[in-house]
Amino acid sequence: MILLEAHNHIIQTTLAEKVVKPTSLDVQFVDFDGVRFRLSTQERKTALLLSMSIRCWDELVKYGVHDVLKREYGSMLQPQPEAEYNVTLLVDLEQIPPEGEERDAAIKSISLLKRNALAAPFELAFQTQKQLEAAGSGQGELMAMHYRDEEAIYIQASPDRVTVIFSTIFREETDRIFGKVFLQEFVDARRLPTIQSAPQVLYTTREPPLEIRHLPGLKDSEDVGYVTFVLFPRHFTHPTVAASTISHIQLFRDYLHYHIKCSKAYMHSRMRYRVSEFQKVLNRAKTEVAVTDRKTASGRSMIR
Amino acid sequence: MSLLAPIICDNGTGFSKVGFAGNSDPSFVFPTAIATRGPASQPSRSGPALPSKPGHLASKRGVEDLDFFIGDEALANAKTPGYGINYPIRHGQIDNWDYMERYWEQTIFKYLRAEPEDHYFLLTEPPLNAPENREQTAEIFFESFNIKGLYIAVQAVLALAASWTSNRVSDRTLTGTVIDSGDGVTHVIPCAEGYVIGSAIKHIPIAGRDITQFVLNLMRERGEMAGVPPEDHLKVAGKVKENFSYVCQDIVKEFRKYDAEPYKYFERYEGENTVTGKKYGVDVGYERFLAPEIFFNPEIYSSDFLTPLPEIVDGVIQQSPIDVRRGLYKNIVLSGGSTMFQHFGQRLKRDLKQIVDRRLDASVAASGSHLKSSGVEVDVISHKRQRYAVWFGGSLMASLPEFYSFCHTKAQYDEVGPSICRRYQIFGSAT
Amino acid sequence: MSNVLRPYLAAVRSTLTAALTLEDFSSQVVERHNKPEVEVGVSKEVLLNPLTISRNENERVLIEPSINSIRLSIKIKQADEIERILCHKFTRFMMQRAESFIVLRRKPVKGYDISFLITNNHTDTMLKHKIVDFIIQFMEEVDKEISEMKLSLNARARVVAESYLAAFNS
Repeated sequence: MILLEAHNHIIQTTLAEKVVKPTSLDVQFVDFDGVRFRLSTQERKTALLLSMSIRCWDELVKYGVHDVLKREYGSMLQPQPEAEYNVTLLVDLEQIPPEGEERDAAIKSISLLKRNALAAPFELAFQTQKQLEAAGSGQGELMAMHYRDEEAIYIQASPDRVTVIFSTIFREETDRIFGKVFLQEFVDARRLPTIQSAPQVLYTTREPPLEIRHLPGLKDSEDVGYVTFVLFPRHFTHPTVAASTISHIQLFRDYLHYHIKCSKAYMHSRMRYRVSEFQKVLNRAKTEVAVTDRKTASGRSMIR
Repeated sequence: MSLLAPIICDNGTGFSKVGFAGNSDPSFVFPTAIATRGPASQPSRSGPALPSKPGHLASKRGVEDLDFFIGDEALANAKTPGYGINYPIRHGQIDNWDYMERYWEQTIFKYLRAEPEDHYFLLTEPPLNAPENREQTAEIFFESFNIKGLYIAVQAVLALAASWTSNRVSDRTLTGTVIDSGDGVTHVIPCAEGYVIGSAIKHIPIAGRDITQFVLNLMRERGEMAGVPPEDHLKVAGKVKENFSYVCQDIVKEFRKYDAEPYKYFERYEGENTVTGKKYGVDVGYERFLAPEIFFNPEIYSSDFLTPLPEIVDGVIQQSPIDVRRGLYKNIVLSGGSTMFQHFGQRLKRDLKQIVDRRLDASVAASGSHLKSSGVEVDVISHKRQRYAVWFGGSLMASLPEFYSFCHTKAQYDEVGPSICRRYQIFGSAT
Repeated sequence: MSNVLRPYLAAVRSTLTAALTLEDFSSQVVERHNKPEVEVGVSKEVLLNPLTISRNENERVLIEPSINSIRLSIKIKQADEIERILCHKFTRFMMQRAESFIVLRRKPVKGYDISFLITNNHTDTMLKHKIVDFIIQFMEEVDKEISEMKLSLNARARVVAESYLAAFNS
């Protein structure tokens, strides 16, 4: 698995299961970036409530998340979210289409709740870009989403492009160094002819990019880095391309961290191999000791 | 940001149970299997598997180690050419750390979709696990995944905690005998105040897999399996075991009952050929009560293991320190899928009570009726969460607010190193 | 083995072989103690002159001989930040498993990355020249392993970046 998936596995599997055999349930789970979910039944076994809490909800509201969710989920969207959560969907299992592709699609779309919520500012930026392009000049509003405690996404539309800036922070030194290597490759990779059309990536440590330099409260430390993606109209003019761009770019941070962790796991397996090789070399130094068959009290031989 | 729920990971030999604290069921239950490129490793008889040479530099892509599947997907891909299936846990202990690390990697990122840096983890370990294994586990979780905090609990203790939900349990104690029967092996583990009495643990080589095999043998002997495609035999036997079996109180009476009114007691299992889609049906008879009977009369199945379960439990308790024996008799807790048979608890209680009473009577007689015992209370507790008792116990523990203070945090790990995980405070008792 | 490395390792090998002349020696200070003198360091007369073999300022070996034990510390080449962290990870991983590497010290001597402590017990139960072989092979391969790890990290990073960016094309 190289790329991460956009949908939530738990929602998908649970719904698929409950459609076939509704039972009462109440589960809480999470998604990347501190998103919390609760899936529960209230009065009826066939009416599932799916609630989501997301850290930057207030910011998302400003950028029109309601419209996006309304469009995606229609009447499923509840006017009043459950306590402690930001948004609630009512999934009526009886309304889910019969088995087949349609049902899969319906379930999939529900499991994309987090993706769709986070998509709002991106969609807004893409629209703004079109208006600016028509106008010929100007700058869109700089939209900030503080999606994690210490990290944020900034989005700004310009007449010819949309700029997406991720602020990243690495809590550990190993991660910071690995992260640097990875990010450098992101910058360099675009030179390859096959991915020339990919968005341009810029990476700076410490120094925030021009677009957000004026913002107050930016942390100044060695651990902080800024990754800028420059999206050109070709990445979002076509609606399906735009949709995949959004799902893809949202998961950038998780993708990066996932791979940093995978590399560490890979290093571990390399080291395990190397250490066992060294062990063999050292064992060669041991003089032969006659191996006696050790017996336990009950007379069985000990096998280690 | 409010704290996100801790993640509970119970990796067993056969199945892994993973999910979030506070829920009553694990979010995922899938086989502890990983399908990787390359041939399946042959289980070696001696010692742990040696780490294999990781992908060489010469390979162009450099990310072959991400090309793998876990859980159900692993089994589905087992037949794909180029993939081999591996089971990283053997006999409850982690055997291949490379595979296990990758298994966890995908569990967290693909299935749970959690950023490990934001979560506390509760892992389980079998009784008598080597402290080195804990250290290696901690190394993986803290160094590869940067998790916030870690607690490693003994499975038996969590199973005890899970029994607190039963309304028959009044005091929340961590003293008791756990009978944990999964797919591969059955353990009888005495615990005193949250500590496992290691010297008294007994293993029984009869568990879920053997029961299924036994059902299969019985049905084959009767000729029921003739209409069933050979590749489905094991599956059908498994279904019969899960859906129709129960524990009877007296075999002879049960046989008579069946012979008198076969139509009342015989069940019919309907199946469908997985390949051709043809329907078939089998009659389910004596195996309904004979299957779990192998715990109580092992001689009907195995020729080398002959001690019935109640006797083993009695032996285990008798080997434990004398001052905890009453507590152990009073709180016998069942855990694992193979203890789910109807009336299993009652039968065990009755048989065990007989053994205990007989001994008490003998000692009364030996003292010439001078010393009279006040009697020993024997109780077997079955509860609703028995199947995933260990996981549920973990979920219960980790949702307590004090859980966090018992974890070792990343900062502590960085300060002390992996050896910090050699010791964990027991918590949860006397609350 | 690269030719440039050979003289350095040859020097370490011959020095180490010469220094590995150990004998049983009970403590003169505490009765019934028999400790590696190089670690205890109270009896000055049984300690010999430590010496450093240095290839360049980043790579050196410190050998501290004494009557019943010898301590050998290695500073591994670290060209940049990545090599530093990989080296640190690797040595720590190994020292974590010091139990099975009988001659490995659990903590490096200050200023070095990894230390070995060889006592007379070790030379009694193991072949002396094979212990030397082990140390030399370790020195030889640890450099190689670290640079290989670094390369594979870079290769991985490239693949990861490419796969991410390539997904925008679709």
